[in-house]
Amino acid sequence: MALTETRHDSTAGHAEGSPGGLSDSPLVTLDAYFGAGDHKVVGRLWLLGSVLFLLAGAVISLVAAAEHTDLGAFTISDDAAGFAQLWSLGRDLLIFGGLIPMFVALAIYVVPLQVGSFSLAFPRGAAAAFWTWLVGIILVIVSYAAGGGPGGWSTDHVVMWAAALGFVVLALLWAMVCIASTVLGARTAGMDLDRVPVASWGFLVFSLGGLFSLPLVVAQLVLAYLDVKHGFLPDETSRIPLVGVTDSVSLAPGLYWLGVPALAIAVEAIGVHTGRPVRFHRPVLALLGLLGVVAYGADMFTFASRGRQIAFDNGLLVAALIASVLPVLATLGLAGDSLRTGALRLRTPLVAGLLSGLLLLSGAAAALLGVIWPIVGFLNKNFDTDLSLDVSLDLAATTFHEGIFGLIVGAAVLGGIAGIHHWAHKIWGRSLDDRLGLTTSLAAAGGGLVWGVGGIIAGFLGQVRLPNVGETIPDGAEAMNGVSTAGVALLTLAALLLLANIGKAATGSGSANEPWQGLSLEWATPSPPPLSNFAALPVVRSATPLADPEFLIPASAVATDAATTASPTEHA
Amino acid sequence: MTDITPFDAIPDQAPLAPRSKPRLLLIGTSLVSLAVTMGFAGLVGFYLSSRADVLRTGEPWPPKGVEVPLTQPNMMMFTLVFSAATMAWALQAMRNDDRPNFHIAAGLSLFLGFAFLAQTAYLLTIMELEVAASPRAPLIYAVIGTHMVLQVAAMAYLAGMALRAFGGEYSAKDLEGVYGVAMFWYTTVGLYLVLWYAIYITK
Repeated sequence: MALTETRHDSTAGHAEGSPGGLSDSPLVTLDAYFGAGDHKVVGRLWLLGSVLFLLAGAVISLVAAAEHTDLGAFTISDDAAGFAQLWSLGRDLLIFGGLIPMFVALAIYVVPLQVGSFSLAFPRGAAAAFWTWLVGIILVIVSYAAGGGPGGWSTDHVVMWAAALGFVVLALLWAMVCIASTVLGARTAGMDLDRVPVASWGFLVFSLGGLFSLPLVVAQLVLAYLDVKHGFLPDETSRIPLVGVTDSVSLAPGLYWLGVPALAIAVEAIGVHTGRPVRFHRPVLALLGLLGVVAYGADMFTFASRGRQIAFDNGLLVAALIASVLPVLATLGLAGDSLRTGALRLRTPLVAGLLSGLLLLSGAAAALLGVIWPIVGFLNKNFDTDLSLDVSLDLAATTFHEGIFGLIVGAAVLGGIAGIHHWAHKIWGRSLDDRLGLTTSLAAAGGGLVWGVGGIIAGFLGQVRLPNVGETIPDGAEAMNGVSTAGVALLTLAALLLLANIGKAATGSGSANEPWQGLSLEWATPSPPPLSNFAALPVVRSATPLADPEFLIPASAVATDAATTASPTEHA
Repeated sequence: MTDITPFDAIPDQAPLAPRSKPRLLLIGTSLVSLAVTMGFAGLVGFYLSSRADVLRTGEPWPPKGVEVPLTQPNMMMFTLVFSAATMAWALQAMRNDDRPNFHIAAGLSLFLGFAFLAQTAYLLTIMELEVAASPRAPLIYAVIGTHMVLQVAAMAYLAGMALRAFGGEYSAKDLEGVYGVAMFWYTTVGLYLVLWYAIYITK
């Protein structure tokens, strides 16, 4: 089967009739994984890889944060350039190794099931993208270890970093083409775009946002490659600004792009775990789309004018930052109706989803503090006012951005935790440990919040983002740097617990009973679903197809089914 | 959990959804074209921004001694515009189930694509712009080189689809692959027009 084909007749990598766990099927071999054409096998691969690199990124970020607490003497990295390398490696792994691939993984697994497709669009392409990403991200780590990356001293390995990260981004782009094509072109009959489940819609907005934004990262990596290769950035100090290559996806408001799928998963989880699907389906879809457009769209068109520096003195950027808060707030408000009227069951997907939404909202709201200074400047300049501020709000080069990054990363990790727990039974045929999941969620929420608060306060105190050796720490900032480090440590713990929980489920522990059921099409399949997902489907007539008359379960089937499940009332 | 699912229990009289063939290749190509356009626009944007910085300082651009000719870029533009016409011919031929004409038109498009690449390679040899001469020089080569890569990708795509058509695939009722390759081809032609204006005309 060619990369451009989308047949669902491949048996490679799928043990028909098995529970789908990683170890309990004798038919699952290494060869089957390499040649996988089943989106469920490919999705599991992406998921496992992403959680591993999320953990790696968190550990490196923890080391960088610890280094940040004592600027008098760099203990692990030799100098400012070495610190930039460490800091940048953590960021590359968190974003391109952990968070984006985690949402890609969930989308590859869940989207075809939710939209009633027999397969992912271009499943071999998605598999090829996984292997390209895996090799690329390993090469990124190798290049850093050998003196590459921003601030790297080895020209060859800085060039290698640019090329490897470029391949990683291209692989993610190709996976996003597969996801978006599935939502746009492989929906079952009757499932119009406004009937697409919220999670799949969120993945569509995420993928389209990626297709708009990530090519700019590739373009910058091409330029970095050429600049370094041809000697325009001759030494490690001149290469420190290369950390800005990923600014378009790591600074607000472009950073909120990572919050779109997290928020969508949160809404989906709230609907299922309160037993009340979100009533305002279309407005929620519109708001998620708006968040994608406002957050990334505005940032994209202002990025070139930033001159590779963080600056809030841009009217469109300020407007985008302000406007980004509204869709997050409104989406949570609409989802709140389900919380108010439904039965509140404090399971991991619901708790993690809610915390994710709240952290995203707090990140977007906190970013508004950064626009006070340019607004005051604008008023003073244009309206003859004489406003003055007691504290410096010029936060451009400070850890203020680290704080916002921490909050949004926390929100994205929580979104991933919510999604993995929500669909764990569909993915592995086993539920994840809910108590461990709740602990993981609290660790991630605490980590994101503490990282964020520490960074933001240190930023107001004047702590610079990428310091030099021996640089004076502003009064009080050292303690805040310590607080940030504690936050990153908590987030690292959350990634570790998540990996342990997945390991338990993938190796066959955990409940085999379907723990809950929603009203979207993935819940109409066994867990894990068979090779082609569905034999055939009735025409979908609403956004909650399993409540449609054509899908209604006869009482006899419900009785048989409910006898083995946790609670019959939890069924749709 | 038993294997009984809501789906298993669907009443016999429920109308099943028709299994239509989705136009995934066309949608996928559109998305790839979008991503390619964004990346290319980013590169051109960086070039224009960088060029504006140089002009703001009062320095000349292009640097003294560097000649960016216009004859070859114009010829290249006409070549690609012709190739867009032959691609439209190929699409129309397949719409009419006229395979001989499709193969001629696809072959001509490929030939014009090769001609474009050859002219670009020649242009690069006569531009005499040293890569190490200025930080902007790699930018010019990045933009031109990226477009060459895209053109090669479009030609490979066309060659693949033409081979499939040669093997009997595609017809007036199944044009998806031909539509897809035509869309990508037109995208590369459009991007060259941007490049032609931004680099060769305005320098």
